[in-house]
Amino acid sequence: MDLSRARQLPVIEYEGFTPEENAELRKAGLVLAPLEELKAWARSNSLWPLTFGLACCAIEMMATGASHYDLDRFGIIFRASPRQADVMIVAGTVTKKMGPLLRRLYEQMAEPKWVIAMGVCATAGGPYVRSYSVVKGVDQIVPVDVYIPGCPPSPPALIYGLNLLQQKIRREARGRRVMEA
Amino acid sequence: MAQTEETLERLGVPADKLEHHRLRLDDDPDVRTEEMLLNVGPQHPSTHGVFRLLVKIRGETILDAEPVIGYLHRGTEKLAEDLQYTQIIPYTDRLDYLAAMLNNYALCHTVEEALGLEIPERAEYLRVIVMELQRIASHLLFIGTYLLDLGAMSPFLYVFQERERIVQMFNKICGARLTYNYMRIGGVKWDAPPGWLDEVRAFVPFMKERIKMYDDLITGNEIFLNRTRGIGQYDTETALKYGLSGINLRCTGFAWDLRRKKPYSIYDRFEFDIPVGTRGDCFDRYYLHLLEMQQSLRIVEQALDQIPDSGPVLGKVPKLIRVPKGEYYSGIEGARGELGFYIVSDGKDKPYRLKIRKPSFVNLQLLPELLRGQNIANLIAILGAVDIVLGEVDA
Amino acid sequence: MSEEERKAETTAPQAPSAASAANRAAGAGESGAKAEAKPAAAKAQAAKAAPPDPRVEAAKAVAEQIKQVLVREFGEAAVEETGVAHRTPMVRVRKQDWPKAVEFLRTHPDWKLNYAECMAGTDYPDYIEIVLYVQSTELGHFVCLKTRTDRDPAEVPSLVASHPGLNWEEREIYDLLGVRFTGHPDLRRIMMWEGFKGHPLRKDYREWD
Repeated sequence: MDLSRARQLPVIEYEGFTPEENAELRKAGLVLAPLEELKAWARSNSLWPLTFGLACCAIEMMATGASHYDLDRFGIIFRASPRQADVMIVAGTVTKKMGPLLRRLYEQMAEPKWVIAMGVCATAGGPYVRSYSVVKGVDQIVPVDVYIPGCPPSPPALIYGLNLLQQKIRREARGRRVMEA
Repeated sequence: MAQTEETLERLGVPADKLEHHRLRLDDDPDVRTEEMLLNVGPQHPSTHGVFRLLVKIRGETILDAEPVIGYLHRGTEKLAEDLQYTQIIPYTDRLDYLAAMLNNYALCHTVEEALGLEIPERAEYLRVIVMELQRIASHLLFIGTYLLDLGAMSPFLYVFQERERIVQMFNKICGARLTYNYMRIGGVKWDAPPGWLDEVRAFVPFMKERIKMYDDLITGNEIFLNRTRGIGQYDTETALKYGLSGINLRCTGFAWDLRRKKPYSIYDRFEFDIPVGTRGDCFDRYYLHLLEMQQSLRIVEQALDQIPDSGPVLGKVPKLIRVPKGEYYSGIEGARGELGFYIVSDGKDKPYRLKIRKPSFVNLQLLPELLRGQNIANLIAILGAVDIVLGEVDA
Repeated sequence: MSEEERKAETTAPQAPSAASAANRAAGAGESGAKAEAKPAAAKAQAAKAAPPDPRVEAAKAVAEQIKQVLVREFGEAAVEETGVAHRTPMVRVRKQDWPKAVEFLRTHPDWKLNYAECMAGTDYPDYIEIVLYVQSTELGHFVCLKTRTDRDPAEVPSLVASHPGLNWEEREIYDLLGVRFTGHPDLRRIMMWEGFKGHPLRKDYREWD
């Protein structure tokens, strides 16, 4: 058995194992990780957001997904059905008429699921905060993981927000509560 | 089955189409269909936002359709009553967010008309250049999303390349990618940065090439033709009755462009044509978008040649803009049709009432008429060709 | 004074722009601006009071002409007011005659106001005003028609029979201003949901009532 590739791997010393056991693991080319962390690693690298363009921010979301910024390279592929999605990017103003539907879409998504509030309207009502028909922040309807400021946020800002969500997913799997990035 | 025919007749399905549906439904005695309600939206990738359509179908035939809007109603008109005129400009950005420059202009134009302001030459040219670039960006996105709706993925990826260039240019001139807030009452906020006009000049031949590429790529495509030609047809009389404007009106062969009919800004100084359609179907509406982009490029080219090298970009405007008591309406040719602002002023610095004449909102009304009697597969083709932006429909 | 019209007047006008400048003054050319300008409640032009603007005068004359046409058909009481809305001829029609007058002007061979551009409702302290900007695509007229209704009960006959394109506009006005359009085929809320209380564009609307 050719172990040359295994020898090139970085030397990882697992806690709780004797040096002999560690050497054994290395020889077999095995990497140990808690199942939760592995799942989080996989999930964070294949975030499938729901195509849920509400308003102006949707155009920037589309621009992020299209050729120039290309979200596919992060494993982020837009899905049209909430059943297949695990991230909801709330891109735009949530009105009181839309609120119940947004909640239902969120409930239709399978666990685990995350929500990104994109732009100031979804974060806190934004310029329409004084309007009679606008919900003052989508966090009154669904729990939000990442807030991205901007009106609308530029594609780099959205990508940064998505990266933060990836980090958050991985950190939470280690049992840490993420308060800020 | 006789009932079906009766229903179709009652809904005004044309006689020749009736035959078509009767055959499909009644030929096979084993096929039994019943009326069914299909809900499209508000979360649907092809409704271009939060638009909902309740479709009553029998088999594959649409019997009736009822649009439900208001899911993005943000109360802009009410908010505007509490804002000074300059403060309203950012809100206009968010109406038709694909053509924010044109919205900016429509409001500024109405207030300038009311005040009788003079706009500096250079500002007028800068306005025309950004407006026509914006029209190109908006039409590009229409082509991309429309083809995406019809099942062609690559045009969507192509159009974002050019659109990104335009957006980057806007970013340089006003610091925003989508909601520009570039125009002010009496001119524009910023002069073009050094080298910006050259950048636009370099963009024009590039864009011309790309339009040719789209023409080669899409226009002759057999699948595309089958899905759009003769679909969603209507005539000029219907269009006028329903108050349609923009490409939705011009596709019927009626040359109605406010840049020519009621020239505003400096459009009387440019040579450009008004492309019109012949049949008034979805294909014409698509093709007019391409042709209009060419005309917009012509205008940009001429404007680049004529623009004065320097000069003020913001006219002499009082600090606090008070519009004299009265009511004012003026419309411009937006990317989707006639975009107008109706302002009632009581002499204060805030409007007493502001009403937006929203082209998408008016154009959308014809949709149920167009859908009746059509095959369900044509729904998206027809809806996409109306070219709506929900921010504007709902305001 | 707008930019393009100033140019059309001062510089050597090209044919198309001159023609359309005349369009904007709503048939200024044909009316000849001879008819006497009634000292009506012209709202606009407070700033330009000193030398009367020729375009305003022309618009007033056109409004007078429309008034005469309407009075001949519907009687003296049908027209309540004439004037100008900025530079557009304005005629205020009595509420009862509103749909008939609009339909009459739509089909009248001299006017053919067949294209409804903008419909708006405004809430004033004592009344609600419905404004309709109509245009003739053939003859180039551009006219502002108005009618008024009480605030409570606010009721105006519907125009959908003559202009189907006003269907949603009327629904929007009903929704946001609470004007009931009698004879409308499908008068429901359009922007807000069923069960929403109040009409937000009314000046006395309070969100938390």
